[in-house]
Amino acid sequence: MSLFKLSASLALCATLIGVPSAFAQEEMRAPEGPIEFTVGSGAGGSPDIIMRTIAQIMNEEGIVENPIVIQNRSGGGHSNAYNHVLGLPGNESTLLTLASPVFTTPIVQGTDSVIDQITPIAGFVQSELVLLTTPDSPYNSLQDFVAAAKEQPGRVRIAGGASGGNDHVATGLVEKAADITLTYIPHESGSAARATFLGGNVEGHFATLAEGLEAINAGQAKALAILSAERRTEEGYADVPTATEQGVDVVYTQFWGVGGPPDLDPAVAAWWADKFEQATQTARWQESLEANMQLGEFYGLDEAGEYFAREQETFRTVLTQVGLAAQ
Amino acid sequence: MIDLLLQGFAVAFQPSNLAFIFLGVLLGQVIGALPGVGPAAGMALLLPLTFGLEPATAIMMLAGIMYGGQYGGTLTSVLINVPGEASGVMTAVDGHQMARKGRGGAALSVAAIGSFIAGIGAVAAVAFITPALSGFALRFNAPEYFLLAALGIIATASLGATPIRSLMAGVFGLMIALVGTDPLAGTPRLTFGQPALYEGIDFIPVAIGVFGIAEVLASLERAHDMHPIRTRLKDMWLTSAEWAQSRMAIVRGGVIGLFVGIMPGAGASIASLLAYLTERRFSRNPEMFGKGAIDGVAAAEAANNSASHGAMIPMLSLAIPGNASTAVLLAALILHGVRPGPMLMTQEATLVWGLIASMFIGNVMLLIMNLPMAPLFASLLRIPYVYLAPGILVISLVGAYAATLDFGTVWMCIFFGLLGWLMMKFDIPRPPLVLALVLAPLLETSLRQSLLLSFGSPMIFVERPISAVLLVVVAFALILPVWSAVKRRRNRIA
Repeated sequence: MSLFKLSASLALCATLIGVPSAFAQEEMRAPEGPIEFTVGSGAGGSPDIIMRTIAQIMNEEGIVENPIVIQNRSGGGHSNAYNHVLGLPGNESTLLTLASPVFTTPIVQGTDSVIDQITPIAGFVQSELVLLTTPDSPYNSLQDFVAAAKEQPGRVRIAGGASGGNDHVATGLVEKAADITLTYIPHESGSAARATFLGGNVEGHFATLAEGLEAINAGQAKALAILSAERRTEEGYADVPTATEQGVDVVYTQFWGVGGPPDLDPAVAAWWADKFEQATQTARWQESLEANMQLGEFYGLDEAGEYFAREQETFRTVLTQVGLAAQ
Repeated sequence: MIDLLLQGFAVAFQPSNLAFIFLGVLLGQVIGALPGVGPAAGMALLLPLTFGLEPATAIMMLAGIMYGGQYGGTLTSVLINVPGEASGVMTAVDGHQMARKGRGGAALSVAAIGSFIAGIGAVAAVAFITPALSGFALRFNAPEYFLLAALGIIATASLGATPIRSLMAGVFGLMIALVGTDPLAGTPRLTFGQPALYEGIDFIPVAIGVFGIAEVLASLERAHDMHPIRTRLKDMWLTSAEWAQSRMAIVRGGVIGLFVGIMPGAGASIASLLAYLTERRFSRNPEMFGKGAIDGVAAAEAANNSASHGAMIPMLSLAIPGNASTAVLLAALILHGVRPGPMLMTQEATLVWGLIASMFIGNVMLLIMNLPMAPLFASLLRIPYVYLAPGILVISLVGAYAATLDFGTVWMCIFFGLLGWLMMKFDIPRPPLVLALVLAPLLETSLRQSLLLSFGSPMIFVERPISAVLLVVVAFALILPVWSAVKRRRNRIA
């Protein structure tokens, strides 16, 4: 890190400490020693990349002095990771990455909710989904797609990442809103699903905006709808209508956040929420959001718990509807 | 295209890049040699250390770990019969038998040469025919994967003294592969409510157990006849007769490995299995397979290295990782601010061609590193087994722990060690168990995906051209052994 950057970030810290902010009123305490960010996906998955990016910013911009290690405890639909963290009550050197499987795996397996047990810290990044179809497909809009599914229930296929995954939830929401039945074909990973889609084996596939744009620009896919509240403004997406505009009232975004082990000292949780807020305000984080076409809505300590509980309810409703929730 | 490649070499030959390529392949060699920690885990571990580097340099180094790992993995497979990765199982089958006979040096040498030739061939394919091959890769999907996996499972029947014994081991492998989370529905099955079993039974503790630990246990019983190998260093080199026997095996293995490697769903373990079985058909002395056939080692090693290079093709051209290592490479690209995707090869030409050039250079480095070392490593077996055994146990159990960071894995490894020892006692071959365990998820997932794609109709296997061809091959693989057995019996009666 350059001396300039160091002094700039020190100045930033000084300002934050000096000016009373919402957080400064709460007591904050820094944890000691190295920190583990536990990630439930393998290296290379979205949650892994997000946590590596933010950890790198925290350490290199001097926001967090404790060395941060990303530990991939993959397998079991993130249950290896969350069981590890749930087994460390009060531990101050471990944070759990919250991705949708942390919410959905307990619902599917019928085990205790993870979100109700951990200490919520922050939700800090979201990603919208685009529904793609093959470039030579007869469908040119979401209405065409829905009409085909109405005509032949269950004959329109979606290649998806995993049962209970984000794209499965999105599929369930579209089915419910448009009153249709689709065939969701689960895969071992999002990229395996993409291979099935690019090979022309199915009609539809949900992709993140950045992945989708690559495929569209290469002539490998066309976009039917984006499941966002408003249209995107980027070239390539500006003329893609939202699902709501096309009469299918679905707004759905994937999101990621962090939580601490159960019974984490509130002062340490407050410190982390503050550090995540600082890191997400850096130019580097904003650049990363832009490059990956992600949203950066921040839910701090006060709102995170409520936000996660709300999302958990969405997951429970949809998973019950598609018949995946354990009774 | 030659211009681009030359530019790539200009980038890769910059002194700092050369240094990092060397560091990458050296680390890969070491990480590959440790059972449990595979190249993908090693790459993920070292990823944060590359943040200060140029993206091209970082990717060159990480790729070096990936293919360096394929060279390093041979070492434990041959010397102590512990394959650190699924793709090393077939190498262990004949490689370890060779080591027992004092030909470990030759096995390691032919593995290094085979990996080198196949690696260079595969990089050339990546450089010159990536667009054509990526289209081909996409024509393979669930129905084709199912038939490939079925072919592999059927073929494991031929890996033992009698097909019945091999099938017993294979079916047992399929059974334990069912434990865990249903790959499609995501619900737990056969877990008896034990959260530790939710993620299923992993390949690593099973392989380390049934091969490594079982070997040590068996040695306790015959301590009196475990003589160290008495060969002189200079007798450990590859002989010209051995080389003549391996040449074509390397070529065939390399080609099979490349084609299997570019399919995002298949991977290096199926590549090495298919290459090994093909080679047995072509070999002049197929009866040696399983007892130390050098052409078996050559084919398996050539195939797994070219498959690991071939996996770069869907990664570079479609941003689809074919295995865990290429998934980490993709993550590294994103973290270095490079957007992978179909436009990568044109938008980031310097990086992509630098990477391709670096793979040529890295393979040369690995050959130079491995050839002189092969007899040296092989002479480790001149140490009496009583001194080696504790070391093997430690390496095996630490490897099992490192793979998951969970102590339960160590117990599982010991359990499978006992099981492997029993299998040795009853003369039940161990490779079919491990291979079935590796192939089962692909077999199951792709069958169910195929039937979802076809709305339940089995005709999907006939309607797709590649699938139809594979179906014929599978049918032959099933009928031929039965037919020849019937014929043999008739001859005996007559």
